[in-house]
Amino acid sequence: MRHISFCLMLLLVVSEISPRLRAENVDLSTVPDRDTVQLTIYNSEDLTLVRETRKVTFKEGANPLQFSWANTLIDPTSVQLRFLTQPDKLEVLDTTFPHDKPQMLYWNVHSEIDGEATIEITYFTSGIRWSADYVMVADQQETKVGFEGFVRVFNESGEEYENAQVRLVVGKINLVEKIAQLARVSMDEVDKLKRDERLHFQVESARRALSMPASNASGFGGGQPAPKEVIKEGLSEYFIYTIEGTETIANGWSKRMRSLTPVEVPLKIQYRYREPEYGMQLVRLYLMRNDVASKLGTTPLPDGVVRVFRDNGRDGLSFLTEQAIKYIAIGDKIELNLGPDPEVIFELVKLKVWRDNIWMRINGADVYRRVDELGVDVQVRSTVAGWDEHTIFGQRVRNFSGKPIDLEVRRSFDGHAVVRSLLTVSEHDYRTMQYTASVPSGEQVDLRYELVVHLDRNAKQSNVTLEKAEVTP
Amino acid sequence: MQRLILVTLAVLTACFATPETASARIKLITLPVRERVEIQLDNATATLVEEERIVPLVKGVNQVDFSWANTQIDPNTILFRVLPRPDGEVEALEVKVLSVSYPPNENALVWQVAASGSGSARVRISYLLGNLTKSFTYRAVADHDESTLVLSQYIRLQNFANEAFGSTGLWAGFGPRFLKAVGINETKQILMEKHENVPVRKTYTVDATEFGYLDRPKNKLTVPMHYVLKNDKANKLGQAPLQFGKVRIFQEDGRGSTAFIGEDWGKFTPLDDEMRLYVGTAQDVVVVRTIDKNEQKRIVGSLYNREVIVKFEIENFKDRAITLDIAESVRAIRNEVVGDTGRDVEWELGPATTFAGGLDKSQSTFDKVVLHADLDARGADGTAKKVIHKLHIIIKNEW
Repeated sequence: MRHISFCLMLLLVVSEISPRLRAENVDLSTVPDRDTVQLTIYNSEDLTLVRETRKVTFKEGANPLQFSWANTLIDPTSVQLRFLTQPDKLEVLDTTFPHDKPQMLYWNVHSEIDGEATIEITYFTSGIRWSADYVMVADQQETKVGFEGFVRVFNESGEEYENAQVRLVVGKINLVEKIAQLARVSMDEVDKLKRDERLHFQVESARRALSMPASNASGFGGGQPAPKEVIKEGLSEYFIYTIEGTETIANGWSKRMRSLTPVEVPLKIQYRYREPEYGMQLVRLYLMRNDVASKLGTTPLPDGVVRVFRDNGRDGLSFLTEQAIKYIAIGDKIELNLGPDPEVIFELVKLKVWRDNIWMRINGADVYRRVDELGVDVQVRSTVAGWDEHTIFGQRVRNFSGKPIDLEVRRSFDGHAVVRSLLTVSEHDYRTMQYTASVPSGEQVDLRYELVVHLDRNAKQSNVTLEKAEVTP
Repeated sequence: MQRLILVTLAVLTACFATPETASARIKLITLPVRERVEIQLDNATATLVEEERIVPLVKGVNQVDFSWANTQIDPNTILFRVLPRPDGEVEALEVKVLSVSYPPNENALVWQVAASGSGSARVRISYLLGNLTKSFTYRAVADHDESTLVLSQYIRLQNFANEAFGSTGLWAGFGPRFLKAVGINETKQILMEKHENVPVRKTYTVDATEFGYLDRPKNKLTVPMHYVLKNDKANKLGQAPLQFGKVRIFQEDGRGSTAFIGEDWGKFTPLDDEMRLYVGTAQDVVVVRTIDKNEQKRIVGSLYNREVIVKFEIENFKDRAITLDIAESVRAIRNEVVGDTGRDVEWELGPATTFAGGLDKSQSTFDKVVLHADLDARGADGTAKKVIHKLHIIIKNEW
């Protein structure tokens, strides 16, 4: 149902226009229809830029135009009028927001012509949003996935936009106020807002969005109907998806369209233990890349939900996981956490603990002696002041799955730590070590390392260092 | 009683520009029925339903309306795929999904599907359905001497999804596929596998930390018994991981019948791993645990070593020989005799340890000591020989 209306008021008595006068007299108005409408929808904010064009016939002199948007979510501060034809003959003298009629404004247009002109009205509305989602179906061997992308547009704006060209903006913009909030206050209240903030909000948001010229809507064309193409173009820090042709999305409805045609993307499987990212469990991941080699890489992948299935080899699918992903830039990695694999058992076993390099503080004084130092006598009044704690860990991995697995383990240690091992260990950061290993199918491995923590007086650093050494419990 | 089909697929034979405008017109709707349904139960938490229907399409754009009521279909998971025709058949139709529309306040969606000509297409619709869940149960019947058992594995499907499924393929991700009808609010239990002559190992274990005392004032330890099954081919299993589920255990009574001897939760057991089932407490094996020695030896200043001997007095009143598994936590021993220092224990096995064979290194860790004691059957006169074993632990570098 339409709530936005536009009227050209032909007043019986027109000289100085006053909203009050109009409200109390019998008015005659014409209602020009929308010719075109374009929606530019942002997914990072509840914000849509609506750009509509209408043909209006002006008479020479003053022409009052009324624009109203009852029961919609339009930000009154954002409404702008522009003349696409005859711009040098037409001028907006002033804009009036009547205090007694919310969701309405009047433009007082001065015309030097008697004739038709095309005008463009732009405004921000809330209540229209879009989201991305992806469907991946892995083959039975899990070497590649069929990758499809979709966009879904939701219209809860209160207005029906028929045959609208739809453009979707991928990227984060800055807003200082929520459009939905602005749409719900009267213009009087809006004027109380900080002027600078409003200006920033209007200028910055409009500058980015308006800088794209409106393109002509194109239809389906002649032959067999086909899924609409989604044209992807970069703009500054953003990507704009333009859906081919026009769409009608009724108020309350949503519509889902394909944004990425299905491609087969090569896949790698890795098992990871990273406590801060995945919790205290070994998880299985699908690793892909958003690049050309993977038959992707033409566009960033906007935030969205991925649903992953696998061909179960029995003419059906297995549901693997549903996961939200963050924006993935062109060339960046796609990592999907499938959760723990019940057929891979991952246990950290402490195999041995001992202490050495024990230092005693003598009689509470600033005198220290090492316990195994030659010539040290038993000092009854001495206390332990520093020691090294050695622990041998066995990272026991049992691979009961039918395939060899690659795993990567990260572990962090507090304090002054040394890790000794013959594993392929590297430093992930100053307190985190990382190692990789492969476990053949049906086998168990004990990935051993010795952790030495220098404690109390023995601690000289707060980091982890790596040493190549054999570890025997 | 007539039952409503709650999930419907409707195809509008006329072409419309938008789904919403269609509702205002006189329309003819065909209702393609389900040709095939598969319920995929291989995900641990989600149930995937896949249904195939033959959809009549006209040339141009068609609306395919999918709606449901009182069922927990997750609309975001619905997949619509047009299946290729079987080999050898001429590809009659080219069918493409143009978009999907979701009406407000309805459990429905509308696919806009373009067809190159008029004809039928086989489509598969997949979705996750809530309240259709599975679980596993087992029935184990041990023979009279408890050396083997018959393990029957059942899948139990509970359909509270408010949707009936006629003849439907059910697959748990392993084992056979079943073709069954599943009614609303029905629970269906199906035998998946029956494993005969599965070797079983019965264990007797004491562990003061894990299983505690039967009689604390008298220092008598609890002696739980377990059946241990190994999930491999050598032990007549090893076809698939054993799923988590309740195991009801029976034993042949030697008179042609069986007696229920207990139940336990069987943990998920991958191939080659062991399933350990608690089958109650042994009353005929008495184990008294005491701390026989607790001696502190100063090294220097506040730094000490400590020697602890744990003594086990064991009597087997059973009429057959058994092996007792004895497990001790060294940290728990240290905490028992000194208190908790918050540090791990550095220790070594002392020479006064009497267990033949020493530590079981496959089960022992830095903290847990596992040893075994072979116990003879009780004598002909009914008396049991008391066996005394000692565990000597030298705890080092404590303060």
